[in-house]
Amino acid sequence: MSEKTEKKRKVRSISSKLLLLIVPLVVATVLILVTVASSLSKSRMSAMAQETLESSISNQADNIEAWMNQNLTFFGTVKHFIETQEVTYSKLRIILDSYYGYNSSSPDGIYIGTNEGKLYTASESSFYEPDVQGSTWYKQGITRVDLAFGTAYTNNKGEMVVSATGIINDGQDDLKVMGADLPLDEITTIVNSGVKMQDAHAFLVDTNDYTILAHPDAALISTNLSESSADPLLAGVARAINSGNSKTQTIADNMVAFADISGTDWVLVSYIPDSVILADIQQMGNLLFVIGVVAVIITVIGILTVVRRVVAPLAHITENITAMSEGDFTISVDSSSNDEIGLMGSKVTEFVASMRNMISSISQESEKLKEESDNSDMVSKSMFEASQSQAEAMKQLNETVDQLATAVNDIAQNATTLATVVADTRENSDKAYDSMKETVEISQKGRDDMEKLSFAMSGIENANNELVESINKVGAASEEITNIVGMIGEIAEETNLLSLNASIEAARAGEAGKGFAVVATQIGKLAQTSAESAQNISNLIDEVHKLIGNAVGQANASAESIRENSELIGVAVDTFDKIYTNIQASNELIEAMIEDVQKVDDVATNVAAISEEQAASADEILATSENMVEMANDITSHSQNVADNSLELAGTSQTLTSYVQKFKI
Amino acid sequence: MPKNRLFNRIFACVLTGALVIGALSGCGSKASSGASSGSGSGGGKILFIMTDVEDTFRKTLSDAVVSAGKSKGVTLDMVETGSDIQQQVDLVASAKSKGYTAIILRAADASTAPQMNVSAGDLPIIYVNSEPSIDHLTQDKYIYVGSDEYEPGKYQAEFVLKKLGNPKSLNVIIFGGEKGHPATVLRTKSVKDTLKKNGCKANYVFLDTANWSDTEALEKFRIFMKTGQSVDVIFCNNDTMALGTIEGLKEYGLDYTKILVCGVDATADACASIAAGEMAFTAFQNAKGQAEAAVEAAMVLGNGGSISTVEGSTSDGKYVYVPFEAVDASNVSKYR
Repeated sequence: MSEKTEKKRKVRSISSKLLLLIVPLVVATVLILVTVASSLSKSRMSAMAQETLESSISNQADNIEAWMNQNLTFFGTVKHFIETQEVTYSKLRIILDSYYGYNSSSPDGIYIGTNEGKLYTASESSFYEPDVQGSTWYKQGITRVDLAFGTAYTNNKGEMVVSATGIINDGQDDLKVMGADLPLDEITTIVNSGVKMQDAHAFLVDTNDYTILAHPDAALISTNLSESSADPLLAGVARAINSGNSKTQTIADNMVAFADISGTDWVLVSYIPDSVILADIQQMGNLLFVIGVVAVIITVIGILTVVRRVVAPLAHITENITAMSEGDFTISVDSSSNDEIGLMGSKVTEFVASMRNMISSISQESEKLKEESDNSDMVSKSMFEASQSQAEAMKQLNETVDQLATAVNDIAQNATTLATVVADTRENSDKAYDSMKETVEISQKGRDDMEKLSFAMSGIENANNELVESINKVGAASEEITNIVGMIGEIAEETNLLSLNASIEAARAGEAGKGFAVVATQIGKLAQTSAESAQNISNLIDEVHKLIGNAVGQANASAESIRENSELIGVAVDTFDKIYTNIQASNELIEAMIEDVQKVDDVATNVAAISEEQAASADEILATSENMVEMANDITSHSQNVADNSLELAGTSQTLTSYVQKFKI
Repeated sequence: MPKNRLFNRIFACVLTGALVIGALSGCGSKASSGASSGSGSGGGKILFIMTDVEDTFRKTLSDAVVSAGKSKGVTLDMVETGSDIQQQVDLVASAKSKGYTAIILRAADASTAPQMNVSAGDLPIIYVNSEPSIDHLTQDKYIYVGSDEYEPGKYQAEFVLKKLGNPKSLNVIIFGGEKGHPATVLRTKSVKDTLKKNGCKANYVFLDTANWSDTEALEKFRIFMKTGQSVDVIFCNNDTMALGTIEGLKEYGLDYTKILVCGVDATADACASIAAGEMAFTAFQNAKGQAEAAVEAAMVLGNGGSISTVEGSTSDGKYVYVPFEAVDASNVSKYR
């Protein structure tokens, strides 16, 4: 209910808002316009009033000048005629008569006075002057040849007149002054009726003696304009003229303009009360104000009309939007008008169509979402259960790992103990190895000594053998010697025969062979000695033979005993060798044993290290499995959350579906 | 902040506008000066239209204008038209097409000024010697170069009052120039005003025009003598009439050292007369000064400038006044 009233108030506020916005603007604009216009028109109207006044006074001045010049020209023509005609006095009267009545401005016509006191006038003229030379017009006239107006004066008839006077320059000896009077009444009429401005007045002043020549107030005519006048306007005008200030000015609440009448010393003064000008301005201001008010009213009506026309389709759209806000998208919006509102309508229609599509797809999607969220709820529930059992499993695992860790620690301790024992064993076997090594060295020494002995025995045997051999060689050599000696005996016999042959031959050769016979005899002799010596050697060698035979027998006997010794020694060496080999073997066994002990030691050490590492790992595994337990617990709580969320989601999608179902599409 | 931005924008716009206008006007002025230099001289080309040179003053003035043109290095063509108004109008109308940038005009009739202004198109006119009505002058466009015609009468009256020891009353003759001529009106009015202002009751025993002429002045003096009045001082609107009056005084055997005769213009004859102790006073109208001011104003306005830069210009931009100078026996030698 409250929503509805708020909506209605909003609808109403569009036009009132527009009015509230625009009306002050319009009022301000109109006010500014009125103010500016009235101030401009005020100054413009003041200026216009001044211009009008100046134009009026200038026009009046022109009129007065024209009137006076017209008269002057007329009088001047007559004067010129008289001057050029060399007229006699009798003729003069005829001329004056002929012009009398021709100029209505000058009822008395033209008159002429002479320095002899004579006066000539038209015969019908009522002009008379008993004292020509003492008269004002005569005195004025003798100051110029060109006709001109003098100051105003009262003539014999009691009229205020100005006289146009001048000397007649006819070349004659006597002095003739021509004059013609213009009554000021006529000028007053011109001045008073010549004002071209409503409510303006004018008066004429002769600046020679400040006589007022014409004035709307007849009582003031021919009085003096004075600065001490009771009338502030007259006093102000007198002051202005005295100071030569002839600009248009404000004097005593009047706008006053001045104009010189050329050809005279007269000043025409025209004035208009400021109140008259201000009244016009006030009227103008009032008119402008009324126009302003009317403009505001018209504007308000215009705005209201425009707002109604503009807001009317808006109201329809507003209804539609209201329906839309209540979820009804089955509406159709009027978009027939061709302005922005029409555009808005068509856009709203487009919007409704797209909303319709959107909502239906949202509805479909929310259905799907709901199913999916139900599924996910179920999945999360089973996940929760799974995670719970996982957590429990993890706890059991944790306990198992705990036990495992304890076991591994025990193993590690045992392994360490074993390693210690092995290390002791290794020390003992090292000591055994050392004693064994000493034994080996000692037995090796013995064997070496035995080998040296054996070696010495074999050296002896060899030497014996060499001895036998050498003896045998001596036997062989002595046999060869026997052979050689036999050969020598044979050679010696042959040589002896040869020497007998040679001595027989030499004896046959006679004398020449004598020397040779001697040599042959000698050779024979030598051959006989050689045969004897060879026989001796052969005897000796036989004896050596016999001796060698004895030596060989003995050497062979010693060789036999040596051989027996050698054989015994060889047996001892073999025995030693066997001992050494046995010791060596047992030594190698000990080394192998030590190596094995070493290996065992290494293994035991490794086992100890490994089992320590294993223990640490087991601890880590324990910690990890504890984390895992925690994590499993977390997973459980998270899956609890997931389950909760998916439950919520299911609820939300339910809500969404229900909302979407609210839209009419 | 947005206000500042708005202000900055406006300021920028105004600045830009000023720059653009400045640039444009700069180009404009360059272009126009280029055009005038193309026509052969830096200060433009001036047409000087003169009625005649018969009068001493106008002769002096026109000679001075021509020589001022030469000395200022500006092309200046002088044409004498006599009193032919139509010829003046034709000359003014064709001046623009002949490449003139300004016109110095001695109007045959000053009341034809509106016609001249229209015919000139946008060329400035500098009126000399014959003064048009103020309504027909336009600031920096149609101006008058001359002297304040109120001054000479004032100087005359002041001289006389001083010379005669501020008398309470005087018998006065005034010989005016041409009837209705502005100089006649103002010079006469200023005499009357000055006497009145100084408390001297003037008795105008003769007050007439004599058309600037010595013979007419003499003739009217003779007529005055017929009236049998006495005179103390004779004010003439120019020197020529004053010299005619001196002749009249001589003719009647009057003592011109007692009866003061005042003129205007300081012509050579008048100066000689003052030096000879005949005329008492004259007001020197500076023809040369007027000529120079006219040429200077023509050059300035021809270039689109303002006469406010010319000495003696009035604040309304319509006049350039070259002052009169008082000449009497004490300083006459300067003007001979």
